[in-house]
Amino acid sequence: MRWMKDRYHALRTLLRRGQLEADVAEELEFHLAMRTEEYIAKGMTPEAARAEALERFGCVEAYREETRMIDEAMASQRRLTELWDMVRRETRQALRSLARGPAFAVMAVLTLALGLGATTALYSVVDAVVLRPLPYAAPDRLVWLDSPVPGLAPDARWDLSEAGFLYFTREARGFAALGALDTYNGSLVADEGALRVDVALVSAGLMEVLRARPALGRLITPDVDTPGAPRVAVLGYDFWVRQYGADPRVIGTMVRLDDEPTEVIGVMAQGLQLPDDAVDVWRPLGLDPSSPPENSHWVRAIGRLKEGVPLEQAQAELAALTTRLPELFPSAYKESFMRETGFRTQATPLARHVVGDVDRMLWILLGSVGLVLLIACANVANLFLVRSDARRRELAVRSALGAGRWDLAWHALTESLLVCLVACVLGLLLAYGALRLLVALEPSGLPRLREVGLGWHGVVFAGGLAVLAGTAFGLLPLLWSGKDLARLRESGRGLTSSRQRNLVRGGMVVGQVGLAVVLLAAAGLMLRSYWTLHRVDPGLEPRNVLTFDIVLPRTRYTSYDEVNRFHREFLARLEALPGVTSASVSTHLPLRRFGGCAAMFAEGMSLDTDKQPCITSPAVGPGYFKALGVPLIQGRELTWDDLEQKADGVVVTKALADRLWPGQDPLGKGIRGNGRAPPYYRVVGVTGALRADGLDQPPSEAVFFPLAPAEGRPLWGPRRSPTVVVRTGTSRPESLTPEVRRILAEMDAAVPLANVQTMERVVAKSPSVARASFTLFLLGIAGGMALLLSAVGLYGVISFIVGQRRGELGIRLALGARAAQVAGMVVLQSLRFTGLGLVLGLLGALAMGKVLSALLFEVSATDPFVLAGVCALLVTLAVLASYGPARRAARVDPAEVLRSE
Amino acid sequence: MRIDLLQGTLDMLILKALTGGPMHGYAVASWLQRTTDDALCVEEGSLYPALHRMTRRGWVRADWGVSENNRRAKFYTLTAEGRRQLNEESSSWARLTEAVSKVLHARPVAQGA
Repeated sequence: MRWMKDRYHALRTLLRRGQLEADVAEELEFHLAMRTEEYIAKGMTPEAARAEALERFGCVEAYREETRMIDEAMASQRRLTELWDMVRRETRQALRSLARGPAFAVMAVLTLALGLGATTALYSVVDAVVLRPLPYAAPDRLVWLDSPVPGLAPDARWDLSEAGFLYFTREARGFAALGALDTYNGSLVADEGALRVDVALVSAGLMEVLRARPALGRLITPDVDTPGAPRVAVLGYDFWVRQYGADPRVIGTMVRLDDEPTEVIGVMAQGLQLPDDAVDVWRPLGLDPSSPPENSHWVRAIGRLKEGVPLEQAQAELAALTTRLPELFPSAYKESFMRETGFRTQATPLARHVVGDVDRMLWILLGSVGLVLLIACANVANLFLVRSDARRRELAVRSALGAGRWDLAWHALTESLLVCLVACVLGLLLAYGALRLLVALEPSGLPRLREVGLGWHGVVFAGGLAVLAGTAFGLLPLLWSGKDLARLRESGRGLTSSRQRNLVRGGMVVGQVGLAVVLLAAAGLMLRSYWTLHRVDPGLEPRNVLTFDIVLPRTRYTSYDEVNRFHREFLARLEALPGVTSASVSTHLPLRRFGGCAAMFAEGMSLDTDKQPCITSPAVGPGYFKALGVPLIQGRELTWDDLEQKADGVVVTKALADRLWPGQDPLGKGIRGNGRAPPYYRVVGVTGALRADGLDQPPSEAVFFPLAPAEGRPLWGPRRSPTVVVRTGTSRPESLTPEVRRILAEMDAAVPLANVQTMERVVAKSPSVARASFTLFLLGIAGGMALLLSAVGLYGVISFIVGQRRGELGIRLALGARAAQVAGMVVLQSLRFTGLGLVLGLLGALAMGKVLSALLFEVSATDPFVLAGVCALLVTLAVLASYGPARRAARVDPAEVLRSE
Repeated sequence: MRIDLLQGTLDMLILKALTGGPMHGYAVASWLQRTTDDALCVEEGSLYPALHRMTRRGWVRADWGVSENNRRAKFYTLTAEGRRQLNEESSSWARLTEAVSKVLHARPVAQGA
């Protein structure tokens, strides 16, 4: 019992601060008194003697203070050593005691580690994506600018027009700076061939907006950000390290970017990227203030609000400026356009623009793993209870021998804290692995993924949870120790389990089942949602199709003919490969980058009365629909003849045809682009319903134009960076990649190949599918863990109860109850817990359904099949979990029980 | 005229005083005074921070006891550590005084002569 005394000693020292001061005062006073007596003995008056003694002593207060400080430092040092010794001693003791029941320790640690690991991983994701501010200086001042056009589509957002952006930059007073940007896949010729690089075209203002600093050289400044300035580039830090080995001599050299000589003027500071895009190379955007204003919205813009200017004020200013557009740029913005589209300009906090509505999904997922952790904690709490039960006699004896409640608490606490801390370390390892895996899997639709990782936030989070859980587990058995003592005094034997204990145990099991119902219902709803989504017909045949991007250098492919010639030869050589059925190109790829919408005008529609449809308008090569497996329900595809003769045929989707020409034959109807004069293009073909914007979206409206514009129609630039689709006869189309690479190298070594993936992968990575599968995956894991953990919990408690009621069961058997009846009683007990849990869980599931409904696709949050399925699953579980204990109950030998009573 | 004490010297003197056995602070002060014929300029109060500092370093041990006139007083005992410290300090003190006195007794020589 020496350790106990030591601890009291340590505790006493803690309370002895005042004692130290008194001791010092007494010691000094003794000195003064002795000196005074000495002088009195020499014949001085007491007053004079005291004064002389003080004189010799010096300033009493100062010495007292100095001495006391030394003593205090000494005391706190001793306290620290004692505390450390105590921790070591207790830990050793706890380890020894845990080692006596290794199964308990392993089980508790593993259960907790799973729960803690999952929760910490999800928390780290939420922290990185939602909670942490964007990685720029004063990020709360950054806003994203765009234009809602509610008259065209409720959720449509247009970027700014060139003229609009320059006008806002000139006029808006609420902004410290405005920056414009655009991104594209460029090519850079390096030693090992053409590289695909992510290029950001940015205005000089954006450097100011992001408060970007160069790591080396200089950044994009107004003098290089003008049309006609020499081509310059700033390298991204990571790209510089990866490609140039962080060689500072790269500054001032020329690189071939997009096949044009470009001078490297600087390297961007480490870690600075666009809000949601990694950037290899930064180039000036070079907006031209003298170019004629156009109603073409392609300029992405970020602004930095001035200090002290609230968002609302900037909004109001933008609104006022926007209403003047028709007056300033009458050729681009007509009053009727403004009125009908509801065109305005808005500023959104940049963080919200980047994160979007993902935060909701992440909070739901964090909530579900939190529930798993709770279930795990209930199991571990039960383990601790069972263990403390086994040691109750020991504890009761100890407290009878004078160990106070605190001593016992201290013991239990060290043990449970130790278990929780080991679980915490293991959980952190799990979380680290899970996060690495997540980042490597690159689930699409999860923004800021490259910022995700296990940081100190996650460590603190896990540590906090572990300490909390450890304290709770440690203190739990204490609730009863007083009563046990009383009982020990009364009889000295037969510590029957109190009702209270069983109530807590039963309550925990009921809670576990309830939480498991909630989680399984969530997983079930998600599963149905995912199935429904998978059964949606995208309107194309994704199997056996390979897709990839190429970029033709601007310098050598300047005309439509040159681009067409390349495509024609390239596609012909692809189609000549064994196993390839057909191949084609397009500017857009369904379910990957099908966005963007431009106003279209159908022949015979009046501008003033009809809403202009806002439609995606890809340019496609011949044989595109055949290659992608999109059925044509009317007419024909575009052909090489169409392209070369600059014919005016277009293909439209069924959804568009139905809206523009309901009940009429769409073939031969006229349609043209954004606000320009006739002549019209003519519809030559109609596709089936094509869900190119997402499987959860209605069928897309689109006009497929020829790669090169028809004679006499408004021009667009030659399509130099198309996506190629290749239909093959094999289920592993990616095996074609080396052949494709070889053909490209033979045709033009400066053309890079990028984003090689099968069409099936494109579908799987499209946001709605990716989000559904990501959520389903995580909820599935959470639900599975919940199921397993509650089964273990249920089994544990039922076994325990059977063990406790052995006597009663034996008597029943002796009195003639059949074994089956006894077993039935046990199963019934398990079903009672489960039934209560089901009722609570279903109530919880209804509440949870409200939160979850935003993530569901065409499944009601109260889907009866899912809820019934979950109930059936748990009832089965309850029967299975009680099977073992029930058998044991039925085999109780009445004679043996009666003897032992 | 009383002499000011060099920094750190007081510790050595106290340790020396304690070689005679456990003493309280007042006894140490009186012993120093008697032994030096009151030649040292030491405020008696400065003994106490020194004693406590040495306690913290483990050179002396402090225990409450009863004085010759039956009062509660704190007695200081030299530890083995303290004895070692005293030996070290007194030998380095001896070296110091020897060196200083050599200098003081030497005949100065002019530079470059």
